[in-house]
Amino acid sequence: MILPLGPIHPAFKEPLRLKLKTQGEKVLSAEIDYGYVHRGIERVMKGKTWQKSIYLSERVCGICSYIHTQTFAETFELISGETAPLRAQYLRVLTNELDRIQSHLLANSTYFKALEHETLFMYMLYLREPIMDAIELLTGNRVNMGWNVVGGVRMDAHESHLQQIKEIILKLESEYPKYVEMFEQGPLVGLRSHDVGKMTKEEAIKGRAVGPIGRGSGIKHDLREDHPTYRDYLDFKVIWRKEGDNFARTMNRFDEIPESINLIKQVIDNIPQGEVRKKVNIGAGYGEWRNEAPRGEVTYMIETNGNLINNISIRTPSIMNIDSCAKYMLKDAATVADAVATYASVDPCVACAERVVILDENEGKKEFQGIFNIK
Amino acid sequence: MLDALKDIVRKSSIHVCLINTGGCNGCDIEVVALLSPRYDLEQYGIYVHNNPREADVLLITGAVTEQWKEKLRRIYTKAPEPKVVVAIGNCPLSGDVFNQEGGSVYAPVSDFIPVDAEISGCPPRPSEILEAILAVAPGAIAAKGRQKE
Repeated sequence: MILPLGPIHPAFKEPLRLKLKTQGEKVLSAEIDYGYVHRGIERVMKGKTWQKSIYLSERVCGICSYIHTQTFAETFELISGETAPLRAQYLRVLTNELDRIQSHLLANSTYFKALEHETLFMYMLYLREPIMDAIELLTGNRVNMGWNVVGGVRMDAHESHLQQIKEIILKLESEYPKYVEMFEQGPLVGLRSHDVGKMTKEEAIKGRAVGPIGRGSGIKHDLREDHPTYRDYLDFKVIWRKEGDNFARTMNRFDEIPESINLIKQVIDNIPQGEVRKKVNIGAGYGEWRNEAPRGEVTYMIETNGNLINNISIRTPSIMNIDSCAKYMLKDAATVADAVATYASVDPCVACAERVVILDENEGKKEFQGIFNIK
Repeated sequence: MLDALKDIVRKSSIHVCLINTGGCNGCDIEVVALLSPRYDLEQYGIYVHNNPREADVLLITGAVTEQWKEKLRRIYTKAPEPKVVVAIGNCPLSGDVFNQEGGSVYAPVSDFIPVDAEISGCPPRPSEILEAILAVAPGAIAAKGRQKE
């Protein structure tokens, strides 16, 4: 039978329709139906200046809102042939890593909620709140920060604020291993995560899985290695695993947080003095820039005439991750509860995915009709 | 008699269903932040269940998109009486930045379903959301319950 879940479902925090083809309790295959949060952002952006579009790019997704503005600004800097001042680049890294920590903690908390492990869910949110305070201290807002502009960041960070952020980060570092151990060694959460929702490396490549989902399946690929600021001034290690199950994906996110903490400490210790913003004369042309968002790689393709945006295309990681989840991970889940947990382990961000997905949507609908014809 | 008893109980046990009708997620994660030990939504007897069939309060985040135009009304009718609708953030009020030429949103939400409380902000702080639910829900549930009889 076909079991529809959603669009409003206790396990989902965003609207999405999951159609599970089941036989008894076993899940044979799954399809995903998008389109509930399609707002037409790219069409609104066309014919506007960057000052009027950067707010929209921030609101593509609320959880990883920061990286969208950074990529947007860096694309314009690439087209204009300029780079932001070094202090601004360091501040961008700082905000990016803070955002990554809170996003990973939120993603893991959602996974534990789907597993019905309320204790770890609460602990993850307990760890996340101080990070939100740090973001608010730095940028002035909790979620949509409005922090990037083309040519730098909006305002300078105060030295005392940087020290306060460092204290918050050190406190997180000191109590963090306890909670990781609870998951890693815990018999109940472990049993429900090991060997569930497996995706091999070949399948991950076929499904174009990116970010912690791809890295959990053995694809050692992190775009931060290629980013100029990370490459030239900072040290970090790419975290990856081979198992490809729910446990690997969750642990991958857990292990990336200490790396982010290290990066933040490096930034605060070595941040240079100087300007944080410079005037950029926007050039005309086409530019493409990729960045590592908490969920994978986000690409901005912008064509501008020197003032207005002629054409823009945004590619977000969630669309590939949700697709490979439906195709490969939910192939034969043992129970429906496992299917929901697997879906949560992919860290789906539906708001990200919904701008240009007509092709996938059509494919999904075709397959759905097929199943009905068989019946 | 039974209804009166139900009203008393329901006033201090509010089930909440969160409906994202096409926003950026920012308001949704602020509602998730409400569950955290710092704000601890459940100490006020509020339980986020995301099931419209047993919801007392519907939290609407997001401007209404094409797919939601009919479904929103349907979900609203699924929730049992008495029910309260709280619109969170700028999107349900005005469509926020999406409500421009070229965008495909049909804000405000009050065109589709009756709204009892509105919180502006992009996104509003968790404490503001909590304050709004507590300010409007117990009284409205009690008042609407009496009207029904």
